[in-house]
Amino acid sequence: MIPRWKGLTLANSLTIEKIDAAYGAVRVLENVSLNVNTGETVVLLGTNGNGKSTLMKCVMGIVRPRAGRIVVEIDGERHDLIGRSTEQIVDLGIALVPEGRRLFPRLSVEENLLLGAFRRKARTALRANLDFCFECFPRLAERRAQLAGSMSGGEQQMLALARALMLSPRILLIDEPSVGLAPVLVSRTIDKIKELKDQYKLTVLMAEQNFPQALRIADRGYVIVHGQIAFEGRSADELNNNELIRKFYLGL
Amino acid sequence: MELSFDLLINAVIAGILLGGFYTAVTLGVSISFGILDIVNIAHPAFIILGSYIAYIVNTRLGIDPIAVSILMLPVFYLLGAGVYQVYYESFERRGQESLRGLSFFFGLLFVTEVMLILVFGVDYRYVEAPYIGPSWRLGVMDFPLRMLVPCIAALTLFAALELYLSYTFIGRAIKAVAQDQLALRLMGASPVRIKRIAFGISIATASVAGALLIIIQPVEPSVGREYIGRVFAICVLGGLGSLPGTVIGAMLLGILESFTATFYGPSWAPAVAFGVLLLTLAFRPAGLLGR
Ligand SMILES: Nc1ncnc2c1ncn2[C@@H]1O[C@H](COP(=O)(O)OP(=O)(O)OP(=O)(O)O)[C@@H](O)[C@H]1O
Ligand SMILES: [Mg+2]
Repeated sequence: MIPRWKGLTLANSLTIEKIDAAYGAVRVLENVSLNVNTGETVVLLGTNGNGKSTLMKCVMGIVRPRAGRIVVEIDGERHDLIGRSTEQIVDLGIALVPEGRRLFPRLSVEENLLLGAFRRKARTALRANLDFCFECFPRLAERRAQLAGSMSGGEQQMLALARALMLSPRILLIDEPSVGLAPVLVSRTIDKIKELKDQYKLTVLMAEQNFPQALRIADRGYVIVHGQIAFEGRSADELNNNELIRKFYLGL
Repeated sequence: MELSFDLLINAVIAGILLGGFYTAVTLGVSISFGILDIVNIAHPAFIILGSYIAYIVNTRLGIDPIAVSILMLPVFYLLGAGVYQVYYESFERRGQESLRGLSFFFGLLFVTEVMLILVFGVDYRYVEAPYIGPSWRLGVMDFPLRMLVPCIAALTLFAALELYLSYTFIGRAIKAVAQDQLALRLMGASPVRIKRIAFGISIATASVAGALLIIIQPVEPSVGREYIGRVFAICVLGGLGSLPGTVIGAMLLGILESFTATFYGPSWAPAVAFGVLLLTLAFRPAGLLGR
């Protein structure tokens, strides 16, 4: 398929500078810095409990960092995210596909998608976005009247992704899309994310603990261990060829 | 035989018309209790307030009570939004909504009632409208307009609400808000704002229900209490969170009460609601169309 965006695009980037975050007395993130440049897919790699979701929640204003800065550029305009509410952050054009999907289980597939178009900028693009989602995920079109809660795990992950796309985001955060999916579905989901990103003018930050799958679509990545960035790979090759990653995470 | 058939069919008609009215009384609670999980036991007090406003304007200016109630919708909406804001700041935000919230609404019910008693006394008040009195007859069937007009008004109100909830962005957000507030925020909607709007709408329906009530029967400040049990029974029977369920529940209760009144005597009718509530909870706790 032909990418829908070509040539010059406005900047859509995310910069996280030295953030600290804690739940009560438990420090979860320490001095974490990372950035995602326009049009990149950056992966945040880490096993259970290392702080991936917490970092995503900091960006979305769900968890307030104790220190540090989070700045985004949306269509070339800079915004400081610290101190903003989740709703305001979403309204800027940043979407999160959250851990556990968080669909509205007793609403239909279509109602879930339409709720994705709540923010004003997304409403004007509703028709086009909905067509795009149904074209991308034909399964959702077939199941549009089914209750979201009664869909299979794989279908729910598709719906969660599609719902986030309905927001017309510029920056998309995805928290562990592979969780609870069979191996075939994992690779299919990862492929889908790549396809969407390529077609949809997106800047993507994806948290994963499935290293091999994540590395298939990563432009760059970070490994987070105990709330600190342990390694930064400036290219997919650098991540693939790093001794530590090969030994501990890829099992090579 | 002929006679008892007439009796039967008219009992059904009377039950459906009564059920229509019950729909209007219950829709608001169906939103606040069924969708928002707010146990607003003060709802009948707002209905009585609506009755008195319809009464005052009707007697002073001669305006039709239903027209008055429609004109008052924005006022009731703002009243409801204000009540929610107080409830939210004082209870919900602190996670104290269950017991303290309940006493808040009980207090609201009590204060509204006392204020109405102080202003209007305990005399029964009524309104005047051309459709109070006459009946339409269709063969053996009898449609008292005093019941038919409220029934039609109530079903119109239901249709408007159902369309609003299904086809607007705010409406869909209202359906979603009790399911997952964080997910809703990730859609860019503020749950508190959505709940405030929904609660405003729920109280706005009390304006219409109040006018319908005083068309159907004379009103004094404490008649609202008679409806608390029925309203929650209908909500549970129809299924929490479902407006179509509310209509079906209201119709069923109306028909059951009408049959009870026709064949056993009117004094048994109020007991029907509790019977229905208990049976529903025992055999189908999710209600007919419940979540
Ligand atoms: N709400 C919370 N209250 C207290 N501690 C929390 C809370 N959420 C997360 N934590 C703790 O913070 C640490 C990091 O959690 P986080 O969810 O960010 O990890 P993660 O990398 O996303 O893990 P996973 O891959 O299992 O999702 C964990 O030790 C976790 O127990
Ligand atoms: Mg996580």
